[in-house]
Amino acid sequence: VTSAEVAIERRGGAVVAHLSGEVDMTNSARVRDELLVSVPNDALSLVVDLDGCRYLDSAAIEVLFDLARRLGRRRQELRLVLAQSSPLVRVLTLTDVQSVAGLHETLDAALSQ
Amino acid sequence: MQWRRAHRYRDELTTRARQQAAVADLGQRALAGLPLDELIDQAVAALMRELDTDYVSVLELTGDRRGLSIRAGQGLPDGVIGGMLPPGRDELPGYTLESDQPLLIEDFAAETRFAPSPLQRDLEIASAVAAPIGTPGGRFGVLGASSRSAHRFTADDAHFVQAIANVIGAAAERARTDELVRDSEARFRELADTTPALMWMTDAEGHVTFVNQGWLRFTGRTLDEEIGDTFALSAHPEDRDDLRARWRESVGRRSEFRFEYRLKHHAGGHRWVLEVGTPRFARGEFVGYVGTATDIHERKGMEDALRESEASFRDLADTAPVMIWTTDERGLVTFVNAGWLRYTGTTLEEELGPSWSLGVHPDDAPAVISSWNEKLAAREPWEIEYRLRGKDGDYRWIVDRGVPRYEGGRFAGYVGTAIDIHERKTMEARLREVYEREHTIAETLQRSLLPERLPRIEGLEIAARYLPAGHGAAVGGDWYDALERADGRVALVVGDVVGHGLRAAAIMGQLRNAFRAYGLAEASPAEVMARVNRLVISGEEEAMATVLYLVLDRETGEVSFASAGHPPPLVLTSDGPEFLEGGRAVPVGAAEPGIFREATAVLPPGASLLLYTDGLVERRDTPLEQRLGDLAEAAGSGDGPLEALCDSVLARVLGQHVPTDDVALLAVRPRPVATGAMKLALPAEPESLTVLRRRLGRYLHAVEASDDVAYEVLLTVCEAAGNAIEHAYGPVDATFDVEVSFEHGTLVAVVRDRGSWRERRGKHRGRGLKIIEGLMDEVEVTSEPDGTVIRMRRRLAA
Repeated sequence: VTSAEVAIERRGGAVVAHLSGEVDMTNSARVRDELLVSVPNDALSLVVDLDGCRYLDSAAIEVLFDLARRLGRRRQELRLVLAQSSPLVRVLTLTDVQSVAGLHETLDAALSQ
Repeated sequence: MQWRRAHRYRDELTTRARQQAAVADLGQRALAGLPLDELIDQAVAALMRELDTDYVSVLELTGDRRGLSIRAGQGLPDGVIGGMLPPGRDELPGYTLESDQPLLIEDFAAETRFAPSPLQRDLEIASAVAAPIGTPGGRFGVLGASSRSAHRFTADDAHFVQAIANVIGAAAERARTDELVRDSEARFRELADTTPALMWMTDAEGHVTFVNQGWLRFTGRTLDEEIGDTFALSAHPEDRDDLRARWRESVGRRSEFRFEYRLKHHAGGHRWVLEVGTPRFARGEFVGYVGTATDIHERKGMEDALRESEASFRDLADTAPVMIWTTDERGLVTFVNAGWLRYTGTTLEEELGPSWSLGVHPDDAPAVISSWNEKLAAREPWEIEYRLRGKDGDYRWIVDRGVPRYEGGRFAGYVGTAIDIHERKTMEARLREVYEREHTIAETLQRSLLPERLPRIEGLEIAARYLPAGHGAAVGGDWYDALERADGRVALVVGDVVGHGLRAAAIMGQLRNAFRAYGLAEASPAEVMARVNRLVISGEEEAMATVLYLVLDRETGEVSFASAGHPPPLVLTSDGPEFLEGGRAVPVGAAEPGIFREATAVLPPGASLLLYTDGLVERRDTPLEQRLGDLAEAAGSGDGPLEALCDSVLARVLGQHVPTDDVALLAVRPRPVATGAMKLALPAEPESLTVLRRRLGRYLHAVEASDDVAYEVLLTVCEAAGNAIEHAYGPVDATFDVEVSFEHGTLVAVVRDRGSWRERRGKHRGRGLKIIEGLMDEVEVTSEPDGTVIRMRRRLAA
């Protein structure tokens, strides 16, 4: 069974979503819905913290693109947190996720920008 | 850090855990005696909430079984509840009534077995789940949920609906039994006060709560004087101590109580009575005794009189109000008294001689004759209860007793007395019937709380057995469970709730859910125990359980475990069996704060692990040490398939012995990882990706791939598999194959499906291929006649 967990906190103008576990085609739609409803209109940005993530597949990457698109329409920004040492970095680079969402080494770095 | 709002994303596993919790919660309410109407409403609400669907309904079969009335529901249009539906088996409701399992209808458009009900047609239902309520012989009705969209439900949802239906069924049965119990208590008192027999009842502590008019007439005392802690006060002073000792022993063991003593008589002095008490149970729990006292004073007198002279005995016998007989030394009847003839309506001539089966109920005659012959040969006292035909042709229960008599030191035959015990036997039978029903209900509830099937856990062979206690014993609260943690380790639980009956079964359900929830959240077994303990202690109900909780790493064989007063797990290796000692603490629910310990061990490759409850190893007549030794010997080195191992362990440990307590047994064995090549054929469905990921993860670990490389290989193979799944058109049971091999530092993966790849659909699929191409050293896609093959190579060396 693929399992993922989303924990949401509000940090000033940003909503921080800590995503942990595994996201693949079986649960990506639900993860996306969960992330979308967590962002109220008055938030300036959504920061998705991927540090607890052990597995993301192309469906999960698609969720990130979709999120960036939808947030963009509401003039909200998507930022990602992932340490450069994570095995996931290469895939994010390969799929060019950075073209729609800034990738930050730490949560503090993502928030301070 | 300020947490304004915390969302918990619920995946499939937590959905199942939540559904289990809903079943346990409803079971608990049923147990607490919530009226059936309210319970049904809450069941409907639980289904609406957990399945998040359009309609839920409860249909009840009418008394004449010719219609299904819509008893309750949610989402239905006004005025529908209270209406009737036809019970024909060509439509879903009627079909479900005759089914012995839940039904899942993914799309009515494709359903050939039956049509939707008229109501479902009106509501334009596309998919549904439905489950029968009640036992096959006593169907109550049908529980169903339906949706206007197709493919709305899963097989797990169908099991969930069945579990809820089982609780409703148990509660409906319970409502009927409650009436029966009330009815039978009332009838008992009515019967008790009109019968000449002496009757009494006690509570679970042995205090007298009721004696009948017959008793009061006999002793000449008042009801107030007899009620309460008055046991044995009316007995002859010389008999009191023995009577009390025997009574305490029986109450302690909840076994039948039987004693002859002298009871105070209103006319002065005492008379001999035979007192028989039967334990009573309600809702599966012991609630006290019901008993009778039979006047056997004449019998006692007869036996004495006969010792004096035969002639004076016959004079006395014919005036006595009991049935009396004598035989010669060969066992032939030489005399029956007037009381006997009045009862049977026979003549003295008919009764004399070898008349042992005369008037005896055909079902009882073989036992009567064989026991008589046996005792006669040994010249021992004989006593048996059987049905004897009266002069009006009806059979009544009597207790017949014969004792050897001697004349001048020479064996002269038997003298016997028979006493009518029909009221007592009838009452016992009725109590037994009520008790049997209770037992069945508790079993139903317990089954609805046990896992329907063990989860399939990749890389782990697993088997389990559950044996309910023998006939007549109250159902226990044993359980087992297995679940896969997010860190890839497997948590195993075996537990035993102290106590029996419905209450224990309901507590078991709650504990099982608590271990599931904390087992997923907490890595340390001792911490899981501590948290469950806190939950139990803070709960309203007093509960205690022995539990063994163990976490297993399938790759390394490392286990860490905590035992709350539970017998130790057994490891089986080629070197023989060995118990895992350590990590021991008091049972859950015994103390707060509970101090729990954990111990660790490493299973050698190929080892099996046995977890069990003490029903398997506890027997009164054998010390525990020896039973553990027997278990270890029976399990041996644990070779062969686990299913067979479970069967042989149970057969060898229990033998012909019927367990007096429930037995749960859970056996697991990590599958060895082959490092040569890995071949898998998996169903073409998204859930297969998880299985593939786990298997491949173990394989990559075994070939010592680094974390980075392992993730990239996992991802590319799963992306290729994702393509295969999306392209699996046509036959419903499509599969795809994965083959992975590792040679000379290079990993080769081949994914083969049975469909043909179509144009890339949108950016998503394009991205998948981009990932595959970007992360693998070589990728080759070939279209073959029966499908598409993708071959990938990746060097693993850094």
